[in-house]
Amino acid sequence: MAEEEKISKSIDKASLELIEKAAKDGVNTAFDRADTMKPCPIGAVGSCCKNCGMGPCRVPLPKGKEETPEDKLKRRGICGATAETIAARNFIRMVAGGAAAHSDHGRGVAELFLAVANGKAPGYEIKDEQKLLQLALDWGIEIGDRSNNEIAIDIGEKALAEFGKQEGELITLRKAPLKRQELWRQQGISPRGIDREIVEIMHRTHIGVDQDFKSLLKQGVRAAIGDGWGGSMIATELQDILFGTPAPVLGKANLGVLEEDEVNIIIHGHEPLLSEMIVAAAQEPEMIELAKSKGAKGINLAGMCCTANEILMRHGVAIAGNFLQQELAIVTGAVDAMVVDVQCIMQSIQTVAECYHTKIITTSPKAKITGAIHIEFDEHDALKSAREIVTTAIENFPNRKGNIYVPDEQTVQIAGFSHETINYLLGGMFRASYRPLNDNIINGRIRGVAGVVGCNNARVKHNEGHVVMVKELIKNDVIVLTTGCNAIACAEAGLMVPEAAAKYAGKGLAEVCETVGIPPVLHLGSCVDNSRILIAATAMVKDGGLGDDISDLPVAGAAPEWMSEKAISIGQYFVASGVYTVFGVTWPTEGSKEVTDYLFKDMEDMVGGMWAFEPDPIKAAHLMIEHIDKKRKALGIDKARERVLYDMEMRREMEAA
Amino acid sequence: MDYKTVKKEAPGRGEVEILAETYEAGEPVGEDAGRWRQKLESRDEKLRYLESGERYWYSDDWFGSEKRKNPA
Repeated sequence: MAEEEKISKSIDKASLELIEKAAKDGVNTAFDRADTMKPCPIGAVGSCCKNCGMGPCRVPLPKGKEETPEDKLKRRGICGATAETIAARNFIRMVAGGAAAHSDHGRGVAELFLAVANGKAPGYEIKDEQKLLQLALDWGIEIGDRSNNEIAIDIGEKALAEFGKQEGELITLRKAPLKRQELWRQQGISPRGIDREIVEIMHRTHIGVDQDFKSLLKQGVRAAIGDGWGGSMIATELQDILFGTPAPVLGKANLGVLEEDEVNIIIHGHEPLLSEMIVAAAQEPEMIELAKSKGAKGINLAGMCCTANEILMRHGVAIAGNFLQQELAIVTGAVDAMVVDVQCIMQSIQTVAECYHTKIITTSPKAKITGAIHIEFDEHDALKSAREIVTTAIENFPNRKGNIYVPDEQTVQIAGFSHETINYLLGGMFRASYRPLNDNIINGRIRGVAGVVGCNNARVKHNEGHVVMVKELIKNDVIVLTTGCNAIACAEAGLMVPEAAAKYAGKGLAEVCETVGIPPVLHLGSCVDNSRILIAATAMVKDGGLGDDISDLPVAGAAPEWMSEKAISIGQYFVASGVYTVFGVTWPTEGSKEVTDYLFKDMEDMVGGMWAFEPDPIKAAHLMIEHIDKKRKALGIDKARERVLYDMEMRREMEAA
Repeated sequence: MDYKTVKKEAPGRGEVEILAETYEAGEPVGEDAGRWRQKLESRDEKLRYLESGERYWYSDDWFGSEKRKNPA
C-alpha cells in the first residue's frame, strides 16, 4: 500500500500499522470498502424516497445551475411528495432509528433493573443507593423506611411505563430547566411516551400522511427529546444505580492494550448488562487457572465502542479502540473472542475473524450475525452466560495461527466524569457545586463548554475530525465534555490526562484544570450518557449567573465524524435542548434548501438551538466558538468588568437615585 | 461519616476531647481512589447530601437562577 494512501486513512499509528497488516494478509476492511464504493449522491442528500412500491423516487437538485421555479415544481415523487417532504421524511426517520436504538437500550436496562429489584437476576445488585434515592425523589416515589429493593420495584415499573405511555409528558423531563420545560409545552413538543413519538414518526412518514416539512421536523424534535431526556436518560440513571455512578478512574486506550501472551477478550457494542458480568467472570480464579492451563499468562479484557466506555467508566477496563478499529483489533491475530451485543457492530467482523482464529460471539436475541457463535445473554443467570463466553475464549487461545502483531501504541486516560462527580470535584463533599465552573466562565478563564460526541466515519480520516476539533476548542479555552467514539479518539490522542491541559489548553482553561486537577477533556461515558451532558448543562443553568435556560449558556455541541442514526437523534435533542450543534462529514438534507435552512436557522426560533454543517473540523470549532462568544455577549460577560466595592455612602446614593 | 477526635489539655479544664482533622490524607491510593460516593454511608447522609450537593433539584431553599424572587 502506498504510504500516502495509507496515511490518508487514520491519524492513529496503531491503526495505520494494522491497515497495512490487513492488506498484507489479504483482509478486506471498511477502509478498503470506502475506497471502492462511493456513497449514493442522491441518497446522501436526502433526495431519494423509498417509502412505497411506486419508487424509489429520486428528486435531486439540478446539477451545475440554479433551480428555476418550474424545475422545482417538477421535483416531486410519483405521489406528489416534494423534495422538502422527502428530505424531512428521511431526516426524521433517522431520528426515529436513533431514538429507537437508545431507547430500546434503556428499556433493556429497565427490565433488568426490575428483575434485580424482584430478586430474579442473581449476580446483580443495587450498587448505588444514593442514585436510587435521587431517582425516587425525582419521580415522587416514597422512600421512608422502605428497603432499597422495594423502592427499586417502584422505580423499575415507573421507568418501564415511560416507554409505552400514551399521554401527558415524560416524567424525566422534570430534570430540565423550568424555562425549557415550559418552552417544550408551549411548542407542543413535550414527548408523551418514548415509543409513541417514534411510532408516530413511522406513521407520519408513510406514504400520504404528513406532507408539510415543518410539521414532520417538529415530530422529529419531539421524538429526539424522548430519546435524550427519556430513553437515554433512563438507561444512564438505572445503569448508575445497578453498576455504580462513575467516579474518576485510570484506564488505557488503543490497540496496544491487547496482550500477546494472554487470552484477549474484546467486549464490543453498547450495553453494559452482560459485560459487567464478563468483567466479574474473567477475574474468577478458576477462569484464570483454565487460561494458564491453555498456555496463556492470564485473561485480558478490553472494550470496543460504547461498551468499552461503560466498563472503563466503572472498572477502568482498557479500551482497545473505537468504531473503525473493530476489524483492526481482529487483524492483530491476538483476539481470542470478540463478544458483541447491539449497535455499531460491523457484519464484516465475522469475515475478518475467519481469516484468523477469532471467535465472534453474539449475545443479544436482537443482534445475530450469520456465521458467528450465539451465546444468548440470560439476565436470570447472567454469570453462567458470562462464564460460558469466557471459557469459549480461553479454549480458543491454543488455536492462534501465529500471524500475530500487536502495535505498541497505548495511552493513559482518566475517565469517570459523571455529573455527580463533576459537581463533587468542583466543591467537595460539603459544598458540591457548579459555582466554580460558572464563575470561571463569567470571569473568562473558561470561554465556554462544548459537548463533542459521535462516531467514526470511513468517509473521512479516522479520528482526525475528533482530535483536531477538540484540540482547537481547548486551545481557545473551551472545556470539552465528550462521550462515545470521540472520547476514545481523545484518549488515544492523549487529551484525557490532567497534563494535557498544560500542553494543549489555552492559559485560562489550563489554569482551572490545574487547580481542580482535571483534564481539559472530560469523559462522560457512552452514547446514552449524552444525557449526562444535558444534566451538566442544566446544573450550570440552575447554579445561576448564566441565564435561565440551556439556550442562554455559552455552550455548543458537535459530532465531527458522525455516521449513525443515533448521532442524528443526539444532535436533534441537543438542538431541542437549546444547543447550537455542528455536524461534519456530510449533511443528510442538502437536497432541500428549505429543509436545511429551517434546521440551520428557523429551528432557533422554535427551540433556541439550531443545527450547522461544516466538514472542516477547525472551521467547525470556530463556528462553535463564535456561537459561544455570541452567548457571552448576550449575557454581558464578553468584557472584563471593573469590580467596585460599594461603601455605605455609595449604597445610599444608589438607593436615592 | 465518623469523625476522629483527639484528647488535649485545655487551660483550667484539664483534658478535653476535641475534633481532630477532617481532611483525608494526601494522595489517594488503591482501587478505591476517586470513589467518593462510598464516603456517604447511611441513608440519612445520602439524602442530606442530595439536599445540599444536588440542591439545584432537591433543596427547597435554594435560590439559583430559576428560583429567584423576581423571575426573569
